Amino acid sequence: MAAERLAFVSPRFAGEGAVGGAETLLKNLAIHAVALGIPVDFLTTCAQSHYTWENSLPPGVQTIDGMNVHFFPVDDRDVGAFLRIQNTIDHGHAVGESDELFWLRNGVHSTALLGHLEANASRYRAILTGPYLFGLTWSTAMAHPERTLLIPCLHDEPFARLSVMKRLFRDAAGCLFNSHAERELAGELFGVPDAKARIVGMGIDPIEADPEVFARRHGISTPYVLYSGRREPLKGTPLLCDYMQAFRERTGRDIQVVFTGSGAIDAPDALWPHILDVGFVSETEKHEAMAGAIAFLHPSVNESFGIVLLEAFLAGTPGLVHAQSRVLVGQCRAAGAGLWFRHYPDFETQLLFLLDHPEARAELGRRGHRFVADEYAWPVVEQKFIRALDALCPA
Amino acid sequence: MSESPILSIGAPGFDVDKLVADLQATADRKMKDGVYADARVARAEKTNLVHLRGSDDFITFYLTCLRDAVFVDIADFDIRERRRFLSPLLVGLKKTIWKLLKFYTYRLWSQQNQVNGLIITALEGLEEQSAKRIAALEARIAELERKAPHHGG
Repeated sequence: MAAERLAFVSPRFAGEGAVGGAETLLKNLAIHAVALGIPVDFLTTCAQSHYTWENSLPPGVQTIDGMNVHFFPVDDRDVGAFLRIQNTIDHGHAVGESDELFWLRNGVHSTALLGHLEANASRYRAILTGPYLFGLTWSTAMAHPERTLLIPCLHDEPFARLSVMKRLFRDAAGCLFNSHAERELAGELFGVPDAKARIVGMGIDPIEADPEVFARRHGISTPYVLYSGRREPLKGTPLLCDYMQAFRERTGRDIQVVFTGSGAIDAPDALWPHILDVGFVSETEKHEAMAGAIAFLHPSVNESFGIVLLEAFLAGTPGLVHAQSRVLVGQCRAAGAGLWFRHYPDFETQLLFLLDHPEARAELGRRGHRFVADEYAWPVVEQKFIRALDALCPA
Repeated sequence: MSESPILSIGAPGFDVDKLVADLQATADRKMKDGVYADARVARAEKTNLVHLRGSDDFITFYLTCLRDAVFVDIADFDIRERRRFLSPLLVGLKKTIWKLLKFYTYRLWSQQNQVNGLIITALEGLEEQSAKRIAALEARIAELERKAPHHGG
């Protein structure tokens, strides 16, 4: 009898203490596969922090959301050498293939997990793994390319230009992309053919949120813009704060900046009295914050999906994103629900427009809601996932 | 300082690509009119410059913002304290330290202002020089292409 079971391989298991878009995506796809009656083993590491990769969870197997979640220890790492090579790559300098492999091996890797796969690969119809830039993903795909479906969460960044990544995308049985823009990028960088590519993404649960609740609860009496997620330079949050400070000073508009999520906020001193940082909040509260915002700001240029932007669309709030993010601009375009800025003058003009044209803002919000409800409802995504599985890894 | 873009949009049926193009054209026009030649814009763009390296127009514009930002006023900020506990006392202490250090910081400040001014002048000179050189080369290529006999067929 042909194997039906799926293996999902992810460097971290999304949950309390470990949050990341890619990890959330893999976990949610696995949960929905289980709901469709497909048995799933979720193979992951004992690490929660993507900075230290310290083994902070006990190894072993747990049943979570109907799947067997196997936690394996992360191997010892040469952090100094890893960071030295990473820094070189990140600055756009070429390194040799041996350094690329060393960098992958010392990023996050688990010999125990790979050993489990080696012994059990034939039990799995397909091994779904991602994101692309982790050593664990690379080694998994290279060990079992014929049954690996890559969920790359690809960004246009120096790491995507490593020679080892060409091999990864060439050898994997197929790729499940999150958006048309990500699929196009994989075509440009690696020549991934249509026969090996499917766009699946992740479903977004319906949102029912009162747009006035969040402001009332936190005593906000002025309009506000929102950012949700990790606060770090790679996500563009310092740029967001600098822009909002300049916007407040230059236009004289009293507008607050609300943050949900984790990480330190790097903001000018003068902006602090106008920042509300609520940290980690429930999904309900996050959606309420989204529903009441003038705009959802997403200044990151390195996204492969933009889950929070889609959630904001579903909450009826337009997006304001960086023009250099091909994926986020693609989502704004496809939904007809967001604007994109190249620089501060664009940002100021566009935010003023959203503030001063409530009817246009409402129309953008309606379009976003409709788009996500139609394209990213779980039943739609589940069908795409099953079709992709049948096409790329037939039972 | 700034103004709302003058756009009339019928909410049902507008095209988001056209809307963004209109808003960007508004921003471009205001940039040309000098609305954004402002030190605050220069400061706001510091983390975005890496994404704008390919835009010649923007670099020229950014230099005009820098011209506004280059001469720093050493006393252009309020001394504050974010912690609530003993805040007035801490602010007083900081102000006293600030006054005591004036003899030292003012010298550094005036020298830094001189250096900033010289650097921006040099950068503007270099930018102008290369813009002229590129324009001359482009004109020369166009002239050579015009004179060259038809080829490729």
